[in-house]
Amino acid sequence: MAESICRLLRDGALEGEHAPALTIKDSIASPFGFHVFAHVLSQLSSFILAGKSQSRGLVVVCFSRSPSFYLELLKNKGIDVVSSDKRIQTLDCYSDPLGWKSRLTETGNFMACSHETSISRTTNVFKDVKHMDKLYNSIVELGKGLVGGGKIRFSVAIDSVDEMLRHASMSSVSGLLSKLRSHDQVSSIFWLLHSDLHEAKVTAVLEYLSSMVAGLEPLHQPANGQRGDMENFSLIEHNLKKGKFHVRFKRRNGRVRVMVQFSLQLSEKERIDKANVVLPFEHQGNGKPIQIYDGRRSLADSKHERPVGATETVQTSEDSGRGEIIYYRDSDDEMPDSDEDPDDDLDI
Amino acid sequence: MAAAKTRASSFSRNLSAAAPSQGPGLKCGPNGLVFLSSGIPDLDKILGGGFPLGSLVMVMEDAEAPHHMLLLRNFMAQGLVHNQPLLYASPARDPRGFLGTLPSPAASKDNKSYETDPDQEKGLRIAWQYKKYFGENQLNFDGQKGSLSLDGKHEYSNEFDLRKPLDRHFLNRQHVDCVSIQDSPDLSVLRDRCSTFSSQFPRNDGSVSCAGRIAIQSFCAPQCAYSNMEWDMLSFIRSLKSMVRSSNSVAIITFPPSLLSPSFCKRWQHMADTLLSVKAIPDEDKDLAQLLTGYQEMVGFLNVHKVARINTQVPVILEATTFSIKLQKRRYLVLECLNQAPVDGSSGTSYGTSGSCSGSSKAGNLDF
Repeated sequence: MAESICRLLRDGALEGEHAPALTIKDSIASPFGFHVFAHVLSQLSSFILAGKSQSRGLVVVCFSRSPSFYLELLKNKGIDVVSSDKRIQTLDCYSDPLGWKSRLTETGNFMACSHETSISRTTNVFKDVKHMDKLYNSIVELGKGLVGGGKIRFSVAIDSVDEMLRHASMSSVSGLLSKLRSHDQVSSIFWLLHSDLHEAKVTAVLEYLSSMVAGLEPLHQPANGQRGDMENFSLIEHNLKKGKFHVRFKRRNGRVRVMVQFSLQLSEKERIDKANVVLPFEHQGNGKPIQIYDGRRSLADSKHERPVGATETVQTSEDSGRGEIIYYRDSDDEMPDSDEDPDDDLDI
Repeated sequence: MAAAKTRASSFSRNLSAAAPSQGPGLKCGPNGLVFLSSGIPDLDKILGGGFPLGSLVMVMEDAEAPHHMLLLRNFMAQGLVHNQPLLYASPARDPRGFLGTLPSPAASKDNKSYETDPDQEKGLRIAWQYKKYFGENQLNFDGQKGSLSLDGKHEYSNEFDLRKPLDRHFLNRQHVDCVSIQDSPDLSVLRDRCSTFSSQFPRNDGSVSCAGRIAIQSFCAPQCAYSNMEWDMLSFIRSLKSMVRSSNSVAIITFPPSLLSPSFCKRWQHMADTLLSVKAIPDEDKDLAQLLTGYQEMVGFLNVHKVARINTQVPVILEATTFSIKLQKRRYLVLECLNQAPVDGSSGTSYGTSGSCSGSSKAGNLDF
């Protein structure tokens, strides 16, 4: 499902249409928004560098993390950052958003650190985040610098709309986003939002402005708000490892497409564990006695289980660990079927 | 009967005779009302003739689908075809660009098949004792639908072909005015423009010579600078309503209710004379596909919450308030009553034919 999102961003806008815009929203209960943002960023960057997308350049507007962080991130994902400076530029709204450091340097009371003032080829410092129209101009200028004028398009990634809303009003931020969307040279745009930092109206406005909304929700809702409960702790802990990925697409035919995916693939560790999981019928014929896996475990047992991925048995292979399939019944109210259990022939 | 029935039966009052001096764009109705067309023939029938002059129409948008634009396009195009001056306000930088997407009236020969039924019947000999009653209404139908008209200008309500853009000469006339509401810090500019516009059509006791149309799109859009001034927006709507009431014009405002606080959303809804809402349909929804006929062709739902009742205390009670929006042949906007899918899966009936006896309504199922 992340692929369909990246595909839509890659394909970009049709002539005369607003650019597709993605809102990634999460909350403290399911804080995986940045992982999704990073994934989309790296996917789009690789498309752009491979020439497979409508846009020929990417402007990353960095508010919550420094530009070097993103360049490192892209490097770790295998994207060649050194040669990509013609394609990817960052707008640094992180180091000195309100221009205080430069003002202090001018008065002579402050010695700027040397590494801060080193001018990188890929980053440009922006010092006036209270003024959205200036930010808009800088983004467009950077983008045009990447792709030239004319009809070639570029994409924009904004790492945190929350920071923008700290400094500027909702209407000026919406004005910036809608102007970017309707700009002839913008191919696609996406941003990250932590929905519990704002009132509901802010989330509604950003959803109104976007053509795709990817929300991260916790798999299990805690039964009550009390944090001290042992059961709730384990729920919260599990929510921190797995989540529900819920996407709404506004399609061109005027309909809304809803997709839900459970359990995101979040970490390397989880990927390895998934590869190590013994599938139901895989082990048959090994000469070992066949045991049928019973998927029924009540929620009360969960606190005694090891969390996903942790193992103690060491096997002879290099990648140690045996993954497990852990299945939680949706609700404890369901009576376990005594006669018909569809998982009866599930064999792990 | 005092209450005008929307169903065309052999007992209905003959409302379709428009005073010719008013031109094809206006129609007389009960209680001294004069209607102008919404641009969607099905919607005119549902509302009992169209939008009455002096009324305020509000459309609640769905943030997930642009169906309100379809309603606006038809409304504006109808006005231009009938030579009715138009004032259009939108949060876009250049609202004039939207005028390029207005549809053109469909040529009469492309009109829906039910209009050719009377012609077909002439070739058939039907032994049916009620034919003599039906024939009288048919004459009126013919005269009104104007199957003889060539350029569509003489019809009260046109079918619009959404794939064909409106001729440029309609747009180049002097009486199309556009306002961008994005950058104005408050609503005084828009208020002045609306005021000067509506003063061109003062209402007096004489006959109506010309009517005007005001269309305001996405009134509380977040990029407008005034969008957090909720009381100001409400008082603007109130003053617009009074301007429109004292002139021969109709104003239509679309707004996304999810961007307003709930109490203001309610207040805005109460301000409207006619209140409609549009809703998006989930795509590839198997449950909905099984529940409704014609799901594949539907693009959205239209709900009629309130119908304007001016000069009367009799409320209008509609047979159905939820309609599906379909694009017939991907060109013509039609509204249909929702019908539950029967076992054999035949299609639903259009609102326009629900009263006609000759049309075979194969559905005969539960209407919502």
